[in-house]
Amino acid sequence: MNQSRIIRGLVLALAAAPAFAQTTPPSGRLLASNCFQCHGTNGKGGVETLAGKSASEIVKELKEMQGKATPKMMDMHARGYTDAEIALIANYFAAQR
Amino acid sequence: MVKRRDFIKMAGAAGLGLSAAGWSMLAAADGVAAPVAVGVPTNTGIKGRVVVIGGGMAGATVAKYLRIWGGTGVDVTLIERDSAYSSNIMSNLVLNGSRTMSSLQYGYGNLTSRYGVKMVKGDVATIDPVGRSVTLASGTRYAYDRLVVAPGVDFDILPGLETAAAQAKVPHAWKAGPQTTALRNMITAMPNGGVFVMSIPGKPYRCPPGPYERACVVADWLKKNRPGSKVIVLDANPGITAEVHSFTDAFNVVHAGVIEYQPNVTINSVDATNMTVNTSIGNIHGNVLNLIPPHRAGKVIAANGLADSGGKWTSVDVLSYEAKVAPGIHVIGDASATTQPKAGHIANQEAKVCADAILRLFSGRALDPSPHTNSACYSPITFETASWLTANFAYDPVTKTMQPVAPSSGEAAARSKDNFEEMNKWFTALMGDSFA
Repeated sequence: MNQSRIIRGLVLALAAAPAFAQTTPPSGRLLASNCFQCHGTNGKGGVETLAGKSASEIVKELKEMQGKATPKMMDMHARGYTDAEIALIANYFAAQR
Repeated sequence: MVKRRDFIKMAGAAGLGLSAAGWSMLAAADGVAAPVAVGVPTNTGIKGRVVVIGGGMAGATVAKYLRIWGGTGVDVTLIERDSAYSSNIMSNLVLNGSRTMSSLQYGYGNLTSRYGVKMVKGDVATIDPVGRSVTLASGTRYAYDRLVVAPGVDFDILPGLETAAAQAKVPHAWKAGPQTTALRNMITAMPNGGVFVMSIPGKPYRCPPGPYERACVVADWLKKNRPGSKVIVLDANPGITAEVHSFTDAFNVVHAGVIEYQPNVTINSVDATNMTVNTSIGNIHGNVLNLIPPHRAGKVIAANGLADSGGKWTSVDVLSYEAKVAPGIHVIGDASATTQPKAGHIANQEAKVCADAILRLFSGRALDPSPHTNSACYSPITFETASWLTANFAYDPVTKTMQPVAPSSGEAAARSKDNFEEMNKWFTALMGDSFA
């Protein structure tokens, strides 16, 4: 099977099954749900609403927390994520309304 | 703004659970935003029936998230024997009079009205893993495609405490409820120069820092109200098991002369009549005995052949929390045997990993290969100061276990009033994510 046939097949599969596509969990949702414990379900409420913040702002804050000399709880927690995971979390919250 | 203590009194007087208005007031008193109700989608394409046994931190959270992530096609029935959940988190603060048990009650009304979870009040008699159904003591049967079991912990009976009368004289108060209030009353009945004896079981037990926190808050209350009193801590473990820096400072400095800490102590038997504990370091007498027995998973686990780990807990795949011995049955929270601590905060996150996994299984998708969970808690050291502890866990594909990401694991540098205020915010937000 050549590449164009694979791509055509994928396009057909996606077009034919919109309901199936909706069963895909949004990228970053499960990872970001760690934040819901203090920042509210879906990032709304809690200690600070994250839903709708810009992704670059969330990334910047998490990176700053990772470097804090005397970490508070959230600074310590932030150190558990890779840059790729931080990007997933930030993009998830930026897309929430 | 209503002050937290005043509000707690009002909420306590109002009885079980919290209305939306109640949540708003409680959140405002703690300086956090009120929990926001999230809709249940109608068009996810996912279909399935889930029965959840147990409405604690794990069970309530999995029920809520199966609906908000899975949508109306996912039928969720939550079986719980009590009409409200009594929070273990913060229940040590009942012992020094800063909270009441009634203020720690969380009802299931939001799960029903906001998320369409079907609540069933009852006791589970049997699970049929082959026919995939749960039968209650009442005889009613509930069929499932996936079952989530979240019964929390149960307790061994210490020698000498076989009768209900003896247990009433020596409460463990390690499941928040009437025993917590009873223990508070025993503490207030202590004379000046009295002795409070408590014990800590060997690991694993629920809430690793909890017993040390209890020693601190009781010592703090006794210092101010019953001068000359002592707290004797009998630990089955070789040393403090959590927040070593904070509790070493608390025992040796903050509460020096009040708390007497003894590691490596085995309890042989208890004499409830003479209020004496026979231990590996001799007989110890107390005005109050608060002995926390060794734990095992809630009874439904062993009763249904799910206690494959040491005869006490359930081994699970931590990508889904599916029991290794029972396909289709997931065990979350304190009842499963994992590398994670047994505690309410992490149970909430295990529940989300489990909900996500069940929904993927319903739609024929692969499990998320790299979940994170996290453990976080604050521990009161005095009436107004607290420490904290946290760890961010990631899946390790080599050992197939959840492992703390090294730099994310640690405790507070020092106890502080700020930590105490943050504790109230953390608690209210966590309970909102689980029950509102």
